Amino acid sequence: MKLVFALAIAILFGTGAYLLLHRDLVRVVLGIVVISQASVLTLIAASLSRGHAAIYPLTGRISDPLSQAMALTAIVIGLAVTALLLVLILRAVVAYRTQELDEIAEEEAAREEESERALAPEHEDEEAAAR
Amino acid sequence: MTALALALLIPWAAGLLLVLADGRLRIVGWLAVAALAANLAALVVLTVTVLDDGPVRVVTGDWPAGVGITLRADALGVLFALLSTVALLAAVVHEVLDGVRERVFPGMVVLLAAGLTGTFLTGDLFNFYVFFELSMTASYVLATYGGRRRELGAALVFTTVNLLGTFVFVLSVAGVYHITGSLDMAMIGERMRDVDPDTGILVAAGFFVAFSVKLGLFPFHFWLPTVYVGSRPAVAAILSGGLANIGAYGVLRFGGEMLPRELELAAIAMIVVGCASILYGGLLAVSRRTTPEMLAYSAIGQVGYILVAIGIGGPVGFAAAILYAVINALNKTLLFLTARMRGALVGAAFVVGALSVAGVPPAGGFIGKVQLFHAAAGAPALIALIFLGGLLSFVYVFQIYQYDFWRGERRGRRSGWPQQAVVAVLALAVLAAGVWPEPLLALSRDAARALPGAGG
Repeated sequence: MKLVFALAIAILFGTGAYLLLHRDLVRVVLGIVVISQASVLTLIAASLSRGHAAIYPLTGRISDPLSQAMALTAIVIGLAVTALLLVLILRAVVAYRTQELDEIAEEEAAREEESERALAPEHEDEEAAAR
Repeated sequence: MTALALALLIPWAAGLLLVLADGRLRIVGWLAVAALAANLAALVVLTVTVLDDGPVRVVTGDWPAGVGITLRADALGVLFALLSTVALLAAVVHEVLDGVRERVFPGMVVLLAAGLTGTFLTGDLFNFYVFFELSMTASYVLATYGGRRRELGAALVFTTVNLLGTFVFVLSVAGVYHITGSLDMAMIGERMRDVDPDTGILVAAGFFVAFSVKLGLFPFHFWLPTVYVGSRPAVAAILSGGLANIGAYGVLRFGGEMLPRELELAAIAMIVVGCASILYGGLLAVSRRTTPEMLAYSAIGQVGYILVAIGIGGPVGFAAAILYAVINALNKTLLFLTARMRGALVGAAFVVGALSVAGVPPAGGFIGKVQLFHAAAGAPALIALIFLGGLLSFVYVFQIYQYDFWRGERRGRRSGWPQQAVVAVLALAVLAAGVWPEPLLALSRDAARALPGAGG
């Protein structure tokens, strides 16, 4: 059972990491979602135990309720954060008119260069004076 | 106990209400300031109690100990909670005086304060993760503050990288629970003693990666310059003076209390990473010509010192790390706030911050450096490296000072007097830490003593 979980987690994490490295912003979000599922699965796998539900009165062996509580919390947090990330990407798409990371980076680089150029003449004067 | 509950309740309740209100109104901004001030007052009361009577421990919901979630306030926790709240308070006052531009800003900062206070005052591992995520979520929103393209691009990078860090953290939480069967930090510390360090080191590595991403240490720093340069000064101050504390606190708490043997094993690695961070940050900061860029790379360098001190370990090393983390957070808050200001007091405040970063007396940074030398005594190579790092920081801060204030490259209108007063007060605090360091030294020693790993 542990091996099955370990394999599933590894495949999920790998898939997520692969998606995360994509240029397309939506795939980046999907990558994050898949990785969050991998971590939830790890929380469940961390305390695999068979038994009855942990409801009073307790009878016989009970399964560990704590890991399920943790998994639930992690799922909820993951959902909220994914929603936030999607909104962020929506705003970025509206602002940059593209959902490709490359194009956003290109535009940033172009603007950076411009601001460098604006600063450059003064520094050149300075350096010439120093020489 | 009431103070502990209040310190969590005030910012949480106030933050929820303030998010609903339009933060661009001046009154809402001042209400946020009032909420943070009230939180600060509760934390001060709590600190006094903790220092006089020892740690405060509360199990929520009257559950028996071991079942319910524990909140506990010890010297280390309250020190970092106080520090973060002060940084947030200064940044909000600064921004409210300038005029808030987005409706959620004041509410989000107060919620961030709630998350940070909770992170530093919880005694439960999973609860730590929840508060940690609460503060991260608030800061993802804050990173977009300003709403122009540049902030959005920065926020996108910040959110993605930090989310990844958080999930790595959850993986390690699951690992700890699997190994020890407990989520109570103190109990984990006890049970980890019987665990084979080869198993523990994997979990420890996960935590270390998660906190290094927050701190912006050298191999995990790639998101940091984009975000600190892209966001507004107040947000950069909040992120570097408030949020980054989670990283320093996390490495101290997790390494010093829960995984001391793993920390010992990894000590050399931590010192090497710290040194790489110091050199990388210092060298790149020297090559930058604008204040925000210089400060961003300087932030990468400065956290390296904290890591080196933690790597040295023992009571002296931990105390030095705590002291350096406190002074570094104050420096960064001060310098980022002055980054786009002009005026007579601004120049003076910048010089104080610059002296502190370079570690020149009488500013607070000098004390931090002295403690570091004290901790590193006996390792000449390390002392030489810390000295070299200090030299680099001296060059980069004064180079920027020259560009900005002597040649007047800062344009725009002069900042108002109230805003200048805020940075002046911060500068006085940094100066006070250097001129009269005894209280801070005693506090950092107490905080280091709260970590069982420091005893051995």
